Amino acid sequence: MTSVAERPDPMSDPVSRHTPPAARRDLGWIGIPLVAAVGLAAYWLLPDDLALLTRIAASALFVLSLDLVLGYGGIATLGQAAMFGTGAYAAGIVAVNWINDPFAMLAAGGIAGGGIALATGALILHARGLTLLMLTIAVGQIVQEVANKARDWTGGSDGLSGIDPAPVLGLFRFDMFGRTSYLFALAVLVAGLLVARRIMRSPFGLACRGVREDPLRISAIGGSPKSYLVALYAVAGVFAGVAGALTAVTSGIVGLDSAGFPWSAEALVMLVLGGTGRLYGAVIGTAAFMGIHHILAASDPFHWMGFIGLFLIGIVLFLPGGIASGLERLGGLLRRKEDRA
Amino acid sequence: METMFGIAVDGVAYGMILFIISVGLSVTLGLMRVVNLAHGAFAMVGGYVASYAAQTAGLSYGLALVVAVALTVLATLPLERLLYRRIYGSANELAQVLLTIGLTFVIVAGINYLFGPTLKRIPLPEMLTGTVELGPKAIPTHRAFVIAAGAATLLGLWWLLERTDFGIRLRAAVDDPAMAAALGIRTERLYLATFALGTGLAALGGVLGAELLPLEPYYAIRYIVLFLAVVAVGGAGSIFGSAAAALALGIVDTAGKYLIPNFGEFFFYAALILILFRWPHGFFKGRAA
Amino acid sequence: MTRTLRNALLGTAFGLALAAGPAGAATIKVGVVAPFSGPFGVAGKTFREAIEVYQAQHGKTVGNDTVEFVYKDLDQANPAQSKALSQELIVKEKVSFLAGYFFTPDALAVAPLIDEANIPCVIFNAATSAITEKSPRYVRTSFTLWQNTVPLAEYMAKQGIKKAVSAVSDYGPGLDGEAAFKTTFEKHGGTVVDSIRMPLKSTDFAPFMQRIKDSGAEAVYAFLPAGPTTLAFTKAFSDTGLKAAGIKFFGPGDLTQEPDLPALGDAALGVTTSFNYSRAHDSAMNKAFVAKHKEMFGSTDTVTFSSVGAYDGVHVIYQMIKNGGGGKIDGAKAVESVKGMSWESPRGPLTIDPDSRHVTQTIYLRTVEKVDGKLENVEKEAFPKQPDYGYKVAK
Repeated sequence: MTSVAERPDPMSDPVSRHTPPAARRDLGWIGIPLVAAVGLAAYWLLPDDLALLTRIAASALFVLSLDLVLGYGGIATLGQAAMFGTGAYAAGIVAVNWINDPFAMLAAGGIAGGGIALATGALILHARGLTLLMLTIAVGQIVQEVANKARDWTGGSDGLSGIDPAPVLGLFRFDMFGRTSYLFALAVLVAGLLVARRIMRSPFGLACRGVREDPLRISAIGGSPKSYLVALYAVAGVFAGVAGALTAVTSGIVGLDSAGFPWSAEALVMLVLGGTGRLYGAVIGTAAFMGIHHILAASDPFHWMGFIGLFLIGIVLFLPGGIASGLERLGGLLRRKEDRA
Repeated sequence: METMFGIAVDGVAYGMILFIISVGLSVTLGLMRVVNLAHGAFAMVGGYVASYAAQTAGLSYGLALVVAVALTVLATLPLERLLYRRIYGSANELAQVLLTIGLTFVIVAGINYLFGPTLKRIPLPEMLTGTVELGPKAIPTHRAFVIAAGAATLLGLWWLLERTDFGIRLRAAVDDPAMAAALGIRTERLYLATFALGTGLAALGGVLGAELLPLEPYYAIRYIVLFLAVVAVGGAGSIFGSAAAALALGIVDTAGKYLIPNFGEFFFYAALILILFRWPHGFFKGRAA
Repeated sequence: MTRTLRNALLGTAFGLALAAGPAGAATIKVGVVAPFSGPFGVAGKTFREAIEVYQAQHGKTVGNDTVEFVYKDLDQANPAQSKALSQELIVKEKVSFLAGYFFTPDALAVAPLIDEANIPCVIFNAATSAITEKSPRYVRTSFTLWQNTVPLAEYMAKQGIKKAVSAVSDYGPGLDGEAAFKTTFEKHGGTVVDSIRMPLKSTDFAPFMQRIKDSGAEAVYAFLPAGPTTLAFTKAFSDTGLKAAGIKFFGPGDLTQEPDLPALGDAALGVTTSFNYSRAHDSAMNKAFVAKHKEMFGSTDTVTFSSVGAYDGVHVIYQMIKNGGGGKIDGAKAVESVKGMSWESPRGPLTIDPDSRHVTQTIYLRTVEKVDGKLENVEKEAFPKQPDYGYKVAK
């Protein structure tokens, strides 16, 4: 892993290689309306599970931010929760002290998440491989430690409680049935997907992909690979920050865990489970991971660990592009049959 | 002055334990280019085997140590054949990370199922309990033993990789696998042996370090960041780099905790960032020894 | 207009949901949120076992109603997840009580929920004093750091100790312990020469031991959450020669919780702690509890403070159901009905303080000794009727 930096290898990222771009583009545009439709259907079909669904929606936005960094920028990170946590705390602090409008909270979270990503990204993105991995972990740990120390603002290890967001648009109150929370989270997720898709299809997004595929060529045509990566990292930081703020809005509390290493690692697992570099893969992975967790943890928590472990191994060995690539292959297979028929 | 000495001694002792556990990771990462996040899990397996051998089967500490290392290596060799072989090479980082995380989860669940969630211990022999005086500073005998064991491991590894036929072949295979294979070096076997070396070192560290990093099912996940930090700072694949990194981090951590305990964690990670900023490839650039 | 209508509809729906349950013989559900997996999985296990022991001893019915427990796994401190799980318990499972909660942030997270749904929340463990201030529907049957520390600090002062040092984990309960110790110990004429806060994730304690040694203190007050770090701390204390140097070691009983004792081994011998429960507590009721536990689960290795926290919590829940006369539970009234309630528990006499809604209990001074070849916390002294001194103490 460390040697990658020394021998830049265009084949270094396995993820992009498994699906032909055409197939990906096909599902790319159905993906987002599909997420919205399935999300709304879940609202009617599972009215008792809105708390879980809300957490899935907010987490999916976080995993999406990781997809921007990893899937499009090829930046391996285990510290994405630093941005999530910063966003969550920023939103919580804003709500407790000044203004509790949910949109203002999201904005605060996005600005804080983007800001910290910009600052730390500029500092650490010169590194690659294991070194970068360690730097991102270290940044996450320091953010968590700052949150622990600033007890007056963050509540330290007790968590920042007492966040009481105002009704959305002054109309819909966040009640304990979680209807408002869920629809709000779903709307933010879909908006996030649309914006992310737009960004990734813009010249900037294409340049970032270029950096991942071949940084040397980007330099050769006059671009600076590092500044593209830093910008991408900051954009993803905004997404992660908004996701953190969304969690603060819908749950009303922020804990130290939101900036912790386990949360970063879990996001990585969810993303790769779903499939990287596709945006909606993040949603599939999150829904699958958290949904299965919810069902299995109810029966026996330790079986859950064993199961998800085996599942991960299976994905790596047999379905390297994640669940999304499996679906795409299935789609391709069906289409071929139709053609024949 | 006495305080400085005390910090240095404690720091070295802590650093040596970090070294013993981390060097196995450095070997697999540097020489085989595998980000083996299951390294902590292998160390844990070694510790549990030793605990079981010493407590339930009633073996002596030394014998339990040997059994633990041997059994852990035997138990993990099939994994090399079945799993790791498919993900060798730097092109597979992400796959490596996920596969080994998955493996770690399975091992954690398995250990919890077999041994239960409570802490396990490896009883120390009479010889290793108590303290020894080092000038004005008393340190636990066990730690002195670990420092000695760490030094022996360091020398042994250096000899193995630099002075033996095995080491020469291995370094050749690392530098250019295709050429090495063309010259008749059986790289597959070599990789198997190196993998065994890595897991053996993990088990050794798990057993020796059990006093400091107590054995429980979450051991595998709890300390892996620590081990990765040592390898990143030392430079993957470098034996002396790992030793230098482990000692440096051990001393920084100890000094930070002693002088400003309220910001102990800060110190460790701030040092990590600064070092990696200055030496992005670790103290010793990643190549064999 | 739409909003009123909407709220009215919701209200009706919720009212119907509650009313639909208790007609005649009903099932009353209690939702338990606790770590059943992960590094703290033992805690959830002790909760569940204690609940099952209680139900085996006292039956599963109160009056005509059957009491059923629904478990939710929350593997680590994660308040957002805690709230989501509790919300699901209320909305989907229609529980009448919430219970469990091992970590402070997880317990704090549900305050707005229990107020909105008017449901009592019985905390089996989470030990920061401030929790019960956040909602009138919290009742707590565990302990607080203040409660355990104040009598201990008084005892230390009475032993003639003048200079002490405190070493606590750097998080909420640790800081509670530090404050409680400093306040009490200095009030009784002692001096706290150094207050050390240790990072929660520390594994190597040698530097802290050196600092304790250098401070010149005669005794150390230490608090770390139960688990692997505690083990490393206690070991370091005896390994680095502090024990031999005659420095006395005191702390709340989390340090020597029963499941960790076998792993601690002889390093724990002689450690003096103050706590609300020891497995070795000498009373007929505790013997019956431990015996039943052994009968049901084959071993008493995991019986510890969180076991009685849950056991007594279930007792309070049964009492609330009884006081309500069966059927529908009104959360506020139910909590009101157990204020001042006194009973005998395996740990000794308990009373729910009407103000703090926290149990006033006997705190025991214990020393680790070998009993029949097994390490136990042997009670040496008892300090009866200790309230939560930390309730409404400004931070």
